[in-house]
Amino acid sequence: MSENNEKKVHGVVAEYTSVDTLLSACRRVRDAGYEKTDAFTPFPVHGIDKALGIKPTVLPWIVLGAGVTGTATALVMQIWMNSIDYPYIISGKPFLSLPAFMPVAFELTVLFASFGAFFGMWALNGLPKFSNPIFTDPRFDRVTDDRFFLYIDSKDDQFDRSGVEKLLGDTETDYVQTVVDDDSSDKVPKPFFMMWGLIVGLSVIPLLVVLKMRVSHSSQPRFHIFYDMDFSPAKDAQQYSTLFRDSRAMRPDVPGTVARGEEQANLNYMTGIDMEALTALDPSRAERLVRRFNPYFQGETDAAQEPSSGEAASADEPSADEPSADKQSQDEPAKAPAVAGDAGDKKADAIQADAGDAAPAAAKPSVMETTPWLDSNPLVLNEKVLADGRKNFGIYCSVCHGMNGSGNGLVNVRAQKIISPDWIQPSSLHQETLYADKYPAGKLFSTISNGIRKMPGYAGQIKTRDRWAIVAYVRALQLSQNASIEQFKDIDESERARILKEQADAKKALQEKADADAKAAKEKADADAAKAST
Amino acid sequence: MSEHNAPAPKSSDDPAFMLPASLAALRLPLCVGGLIVMLLGWWLASDIGDHGENFGMSVYLTAAVYCMTIVLGCLFFVLIQHLVRAGWSIVVRRIAELVMVMVIPMGILFVPIIASLWVGEGTLYSWDNAEYGPDNGLPADVWDEKLRWLNQDWFTVRTIGYFAVWTSLALFFFKNSVRQDKTGEKAITDKMQYWSGPAVMLFSLTTTFAAFDWVMSLAPMWFSTMFGVYLFAGSILGAHCLLAVASYVLQKQGAMRDEVTVEHYHDLGKLIFGFVFFWTYISFSQYLLIWYGNIPEETEWFYIRQIGSWGSVALVLIFFHWMLPFAGTMSRHVRRKPGLVCAWGAYLLIMHYVDVYFMIMPSVEEGNAGGVMGVVASILCVVGMAGLLSGLCLGLAQQNKVVAVRDPRLGESIAFENF
Repeated sequence: MSENNEKKVHGVVAEYTSVDTLLSACRRVRDAGYEKTDAFTPFPVHGIDKALGIKPTVLPWIVLGAGVTGTATALVMQIWMNSIDYPYIISGKPFLSLPAFMPVAFELTVLFASFGAFFGMWALNGLPKFSNPIFTDPRFDRVTDDRFFLYIDSKDDQFDRSGVEKLLGDTETDYVQTVVDDDSSDKVPKPFFMMWGLIVGLSVIPLLVVLKMRVSHSSQPRFHIFYDMDFSPAKDAQQYSTLFRDSRAMRPDVPGTVARGEEQANLNYMTGIDMEALTALDPSRAERLVRRFNPYFQGETDAAQEPSSGEAASADEPSADEPSADKQSQDEPAKAPAVAGDAGDKKADAIQADAGDAAPAAAKPSVMETTPWLDSNPLVLNEKVLADGRKNFGIYCSVCHGMNGSGNGLVNVRAQKIISPDWIQPSSLHQETLYADKYPAGKLFSTISNGIRKMPGYAGQIKTRDRWAIVAYVRALQLSQNASIEQFKDIDESERARILKEQADAKKALQEKADADAKAAKEKADADAAKAST
Repeated sequence: MSEHNAPAPKSSDDPAFMLPASLAALRLPLCVGGLIVMLLGWWLASDIGDHGENFGMSVYLTAAVYCMTIVLGCLFFVLIQHLVRAGWSIVVRRIAELVMVMVIPMGILFVPIIASLWVGEGTLYSWDNAEYGPDNGLPADVWDEKLRWLNQDWFTVRTIGYFAVWTSLALFFFKNSVRQDKTGEKAITDKMQYWSGPAVMLFSLTTTFAAFDWVMSLAPMWFSTMFGVYLFAGSILGAHCLLAVASYVLQKQGAMRDEVTVEHYHDLGKLIFGFVFFWTYISFSQYLLIWYGNIPEETEWFYIRQIGSWGSVALVLIFFHWMLPFAGTMSRHVRRKPGLVCAWGAYLLIMHYVDVYFMIMPSVEEGNAGGVMGVVASILCVVGMAGLLSGLCLGLAQQNKVVAVRDPRLGESIAFENF
């Protein structure tokens, strides 16, 4: 051992032939107060940590800390992403909905905890460690076979080479050896550098290929790794498809489809027309309406089996029915007299009605006037209905008609500004011709549903019930601008007097302001005139 | 490894393997007292609310399902130990074997539940009432389909089938294990291991369907395919808790003191810790899918359970059935202290009752929560039933050993150590 004196001493190792001798040696070393010790065995030995006096590892705390960090990271990340930085409604859930964040929180907890365990173990064991001076001892090879070794590190505070050697020599061992620095070169073997260089060189190739592609052009088409991800077989909107006879990729609703919430179809409610009265007045139109809302309707007559050509057409094309009829009759009233000449033939009448012109004779009033509209709103009016009406009016109507219904919404403002040539000014809802006595509720409902002039029908966008709610709200709007105190019978006298006084004051103030304005204008005009004359 | 070799197993007639006299003396008081308290609770519960008989039956079902889950958990414990050829658990396996035989008295205790179908009209299960479908506006064809599965004849047949399967399994494994106490043949262990595979399959199918029938069908139109696993998660957790508590009590009374060591408590503690999280994982998975899907026919069950006072019970489950025991049993130091493992086991047995209560009681007609009296009555009922079963179990234990004394690997189990 003397020849090793000049070398750095790492520790002392002793060899044992059985677990029992190893354990008793361990206990002696532990009792002697050594702490930086280690035992090497071919298989796990129960109780060796106790015999060596190894303190419980702090690894569990590292794992716990890493796990908690994982949970916190996941929650903070998701809350930040989905609730603060980029609020986005997913599946109708609130921006901050904990249950949805749980799976990710769970996964990150597990991931971080595993990393904490794995790398924490590395750190605590001083890994990666490619070599250990103890390996230089050829006898140590048998540690993977049938020998047990006990090692005392020179870093131990109590370490004193001769004392340690004596202590170990007293145990049941016949081999104690000092572990010194390795004789072999500590240079990394050359092949490792070559391998390393080769790997680095190879890993640069993909990067170079990408860079070359970025700066060069090619006549070859792009290479598609996943062809059907770049060119999805799914159809986009408005594309055609050879799969269906009508070539439409966007499939229309199956006939008879009833939207949720529209199941209790009462025709009066759906159309705004008193169907019973209409049946008496114009049975064929009533039947077409019925068919439009119920394609499976079987008429009481044989009409279903032997439909006249006009009715058959209308049954197949429900969309060509009411909306266009109303629209055209209003849109192009000038045409009505021109076609009126054919009015004699009943059949032609029917066909024309289907084709959209329901005002065959000049003498006859337009279909809009003859239709027996419902006079009152079928909804039970209450605050909620009005609130819904207000909401939907705000969404769909106010863009043109304005929030107060005066016909000056944002779209109109814009159209006036750019002097759009084919713009038709939206109606003010406060004109007398649109009041309840001249424009019944059902008619208003039908206008909202089917449109009028430039205004499109909203039946496809607003639910039936909400269209009726809009009707109610429009009535409320009209009342808000043109109410008279006589309409309110049950106001008590003091309140009535107060309102009347307020009204009179307001009128007086307006009058005064108007007078003042007129006076100012007159003075200004006089002054201008005087200026001009001088 | 001389130091680590525990002493060889004691001879099979050692008093350490007998039920201690102090516990044996409790048999009769537990049986009689338990029966009386159970009937008292049931009777009190039947007087609560407008539909008292419905409330009473629900309380009784809660108690029965609670006891049943623990008995079945013990049956599964035995099966899984054989299936994976576990060595560590042999010293505590007999306790589970004794408990699993309680499936026979459980079969008798289930008679009132089946009888409620035949005697009343929807006394316990609302689907038993012919008017349920029309009253709740269910389409006739849908309801008729449902009734093909949920009708009293087929339900009764199925329940008898479940008990037939479980009784056969329990008796097969119990009788073989007891026979080994006398013969000590290794062939018996091999035979039990051989049959444990098919037995686990039978077990999982029957428990899943039993959970669907007994608990899930309380809300006839609600369905959750993982409900069986949900109930099972609580069941296997309860079984491990019971083993920890029972081992601790037996050791305190002088039995198997040298056999069950801190290592076994450590393992039971680990399994309790794991199954606490398994329960959470399963119940949250069930909740998450239904919450995310947000389909009315699926959310119905959770909806009534997260409004009002049931919402508080749900929070209690989250904090006290998961977070508290999860944190509490996480540390190795806790799991290596038998007293603490036993305490957590007892605590979780109580929380498991809250879980079962939360599954069953909100389905009582007209949301009749029963108030304080309802809670007291249901506690009396379950304590009584558990007492009755404990009494019977002690009786069985007295006629047998409390440890599988001649299992060929008993020594291995005693010497077991955690790394």
